[in-house]
Amino acid sequence: MSNKFSRRDFLKLAGVGAATTAILTGCGPASRYVKREPYMLMPEYTYNGQSTYYATTCRECAAGCGLIVRTSQGRAIKTEGNANNPLNLGKTCARGQATLQGLYNPDRVTDPAKAGASITWDAATQAVVDALKNHKPDEIAFLMGTTSDHLFDLVTDLAAATGINAPVRFGALSMFESRATLSTAAENLFGQRGLPFFDVGGAQVVFSFGANFLETWLSPVSYTRGFAGLREAQTKMRGTFVQFESRMSATGGKADEWMPIRPGTEAMVVLAIGKLVAEKRGGTMPHAFIEVDPANVAAKSGIKLETLEQLAEKFASSAGALAIPGGAALGQSNGLTVAEAVLALNALVDNFGKPGGVYFSALAPNQTEYQRAASVQEMQGFIQKMAEGKFKVLFIHGVNPVFELPASLGFKEALSGVGQVISFATFPDETAQEADYVLPDHHSLESWGYQRVVTGSAQPVLSGSQPVVSPFYNTRATADVLIAAAQLAGGKFAQALPFTDEVEFLQSKVAPLMNSADGFFSAADINTFMAYFQQYGGWWKTLDGRAVPVAANLLNHSLSGAEAEFAGEGEFFFVPFVSPTLAEAGANKPWLQELPDPTTTVMWNTWVEINPETAHELGLEDDDVVKIISEAGELEVPVYRYPAIRPDTIAMPFGQGHTAYSRYADNRGVNPADLLGQYFNEAGDLAFAGMKVKIEKTGKKQPLSRMESIMGVYGVGLGEEH
Amino acid sequence: MIRPEEIKMSAEETGKWGMVIDQDICTGCQACVAACAMENNISFVGEVDAGYGRSMHWIRIERFWEGAYPEVKMTPNQPMLCQQCGHATCEPVCPAFATVHSQAEQLNLQVYNRCVGTRYCANNCPYQVRAFNWRDYQRPEPLSNQLNPDVTVRRMGVMEKCTFCIQRIHKAQDKAKSEGREVVDGEFTTACAQACPANAIVFGRVDDPESLVSQVARAHGHGVKHLEELGTLPNVTYFKGG
Repeated sequence: MSNKFSRRDFLKLAGVGAATTAILTGCGPASRYVKREPYMLMPEYTYNGQSTYYATTCRECAAGCGLIVRTSQGRAIKTEGNANNPLNLGKTCARGQATLQGLYNPDRVTDPAKAGASITWDAATQAVVDALKNHKPDEIAFLMGTTSDHLFDLVTDLAAATGINAPVRFGALSMFESRATLSTAAENLFGQRGLPFFDVGGAQVVFSFGANFLETWLSPVSYTRGFAGLREAQTKMRGTFVQFESRMSATGGKADEWMPIRPGTEAMVVLAIGKLVAEKRGGTMPHAFIEVDPANVAAKSGIKLETLEQLAEKFASSAGALAIPGGAALGQSNGLTVAEAVLALNALVDNFGKPGGVYFSALAPNQTEYQRAASVQEMQGFIQKMAEGKFKVLFIHGVNPVFELPASLGFKEALSGVGQVISFATFPDETAQEADYVLPDHHSLESWGYQRVVTGSAQPVLSGSQPVVSPFYNTRATADVLIAAAQLAGGKFAQALPFTDEVEFLQSKVAPLMNSADGFFSAADINTFMAYFQQYGGWWKTLDGRAVPVAANLLNHSLSGAEAEFAGEGEFFFVPFVSPTLAEAGANKPWLQELPDPTTTVMWNTWVEINPETAHELGLEDDDVVKIISEAGELEVPVYRYPAIRPDTIAMPFGQGHTAYSRYADNRGVNPADLLGQYFNEAGDLAFAGMKVKIEKTGKKQPLSRMESIMGVYGVGLGEEH
Repeated sequence: MIRPEEIKMSAEETGKWGMVIDQDICTGCQACVAACAMENNISFVGEVDAGYGRSMHWIRIERFWEGAYPEVKMTPNQPMLCQQCGHATCEPVCPAFATVHSQAEQLNLQVYNRCVGTRYCANNCPYQVRAFNWRDYQRPEPLSNQLNPDVTVRRMGVMEKCTFCIQRIHKAQDKAKSEGREVVDGEFTTACAQACPANAIVFGRVDDPESLVSQVARAHGHGVKHLEELGTLPNVTYFKGG
């Protein structure tokens, strides 16, 4: 892509509002904001029936896909993917499409409040000033979500200059993705930190061990494009995809072969396949694969030995074999071993740095080393400090830990050990309800910012955000609040954030990219650069930025093929999974609630998936409410008889069970995180799939709304006949 | 009854819009369903009405099960939407001429202000893709700010269905006309095809052999039309894959 663009491109992408004025005149801050005008007072650049398009970044998850938002007379009316952004190339997932339902949700926080009563922004800012000034630096903590990287950078700078605690990031998606496990495995095997990227699109044979890469995993839009490339049959042979998991996910539903292995045997299955592959390929047998006995693995995992051999043959003989670890396979006591074994399997077929192989994800343009959100074990330490009263002030932005963290970790209880909790929530969520102050941030479509693309794109990408509508309510950008408070606090705080507003801070952060020769555009001055940055929705390099891993420790690295350990007395393995349509923060959007789940077609609720045979033995029908009891808690949920789950396993989607998250989410379904105990894998990620649970009948019934029962004619549903 | 081979295109019938859907790469992610709802001002109906089968999806992803555990298999996801039949079964049963065939676009139109809500068309549709407004579904303020000004908002008692985003077709045609040219293939697409992360849906002129949709159809070579034996002449072609 060149740095020249035609007038047509310019108009198409410009967002003819703020961006154009900035380019033409280099105006000051006044021109930086988009106005939402009534019909009587239309801005001069709008015409009846003509839309204006703005490039921005999706913040429904941390992937950082680029969006083009169509606005009409100052109102945002449709989000589309940004075709220029190398990460998503014009595509979006369902959650990206539904962003507007968050913006226009009737239950947003409208004003800053103290203990539920509205206050002015002056008073709110003063509260932040007092919180910063009246406490020792190590008594002040920030807990942040995985989106809004610019705000994270701002707080990081503030912390570095003033000595307050460095911000900690957390998100339920990163918990279920086991990001710490992936990067630790890479470090152990390759001697280098970073997040592996799996090039599904270039592969011929893909073995996925639990990875739900077509749903919410890491960067779903990019991985879905990869999957389409795998299946592309016109220019090459159609690729094969095998999924190993105890419960068929929406991703597993697309597999050519689905292997329902016994939970806990993932590591030994990978090692057994590795041994068979190594035998077939010849050469030195890596240390990790020597001890495993495939016949024993076959007996324990439930896959026949001959099937294992066939799979190994398929993997060994393919020119483009790729193995991916993820999902429940990593959320077990030996999750790190599984991840390392899978990376070793890739090393065995020598696919590193080749199309269809494993890479290190490209670091984003303004990033020097890989950063990740806190693992749950790290959060446990953070909560401990909260409970012990080490923090006098806690700022929370972009995350809802009371809902997202397992209740057994005691985040809610630990909040009482913190003197003052200041939340920047846009919704009156469970965490905001516990806060002393709620100082609402803008919705992402009303916000400035940038998001680093951590994985999914070959090119290093910094996705840029700009407001596409003016703020609906009396909200204020958190960056602006912090900058204003730091200025008022004076001293080292004022020196740490010497900016007039968020946009000036943003400019200071992207300015180093301005003259970079390897970018797809450059500019001589910052106003022009920012105008391009807004028009294109970010900045990216033109060349592949992925690093090639070297399996430095492969041959001598030993791995245990022992079974994972499970906590609890129950007879069923418990597999919580992230709802593919709702994810961690989608429950407040009515249209996401009404999207049928891809596997069960259930809408608007939570269910528990039980194998039909097991349900029959227990005397359970669809919609029977059962009580699920784990060590950590219990909850009641209706049954969905799911034909593609092991008889010894039950599964529940994560995403519902809110008590405070707008009218569309409240008191709807249950939260499976309430059942999870404090068990971790070797990398400190939560062993969310490492528990066994009991089921009790309750005798109650609760009908689930499902799409599938209306198919066929006059209500003779296909679901009923099975 | 007219047999499919007896139906001939008249001279003014140019501009046959159609779609191909590759079920082998559809992941069932629901992005198209969400995109369609956002573009076309489709109401959400809530849990209870959705449970009664009254949800208003214009496109849905069907998946069926084959076999039993452990040899169970999910059939390739099947996005099902109005097939824009060339010989539609919904059309002749409408007493109000609300569901009529458009000569210009060769689509099945739904004229909301003619519809009197007999629901005969939905009864007669073999694809079960029509949605009826059983109530005036509410969009509490400020959710209504999201409404697309190019698409009529429907009220209680009216039938609705996929339009192939006819508002986008017309916008592109108007623009091309004002610039004195033909609509270029790929200049616009439907909301579902635009969102689809796997590019499983391709939309365009099926009467133009050079259009992308025609090329994809040719390259695949083994497209299937649903319930073709009924003589409905669907404009959507599926690749089963797998």
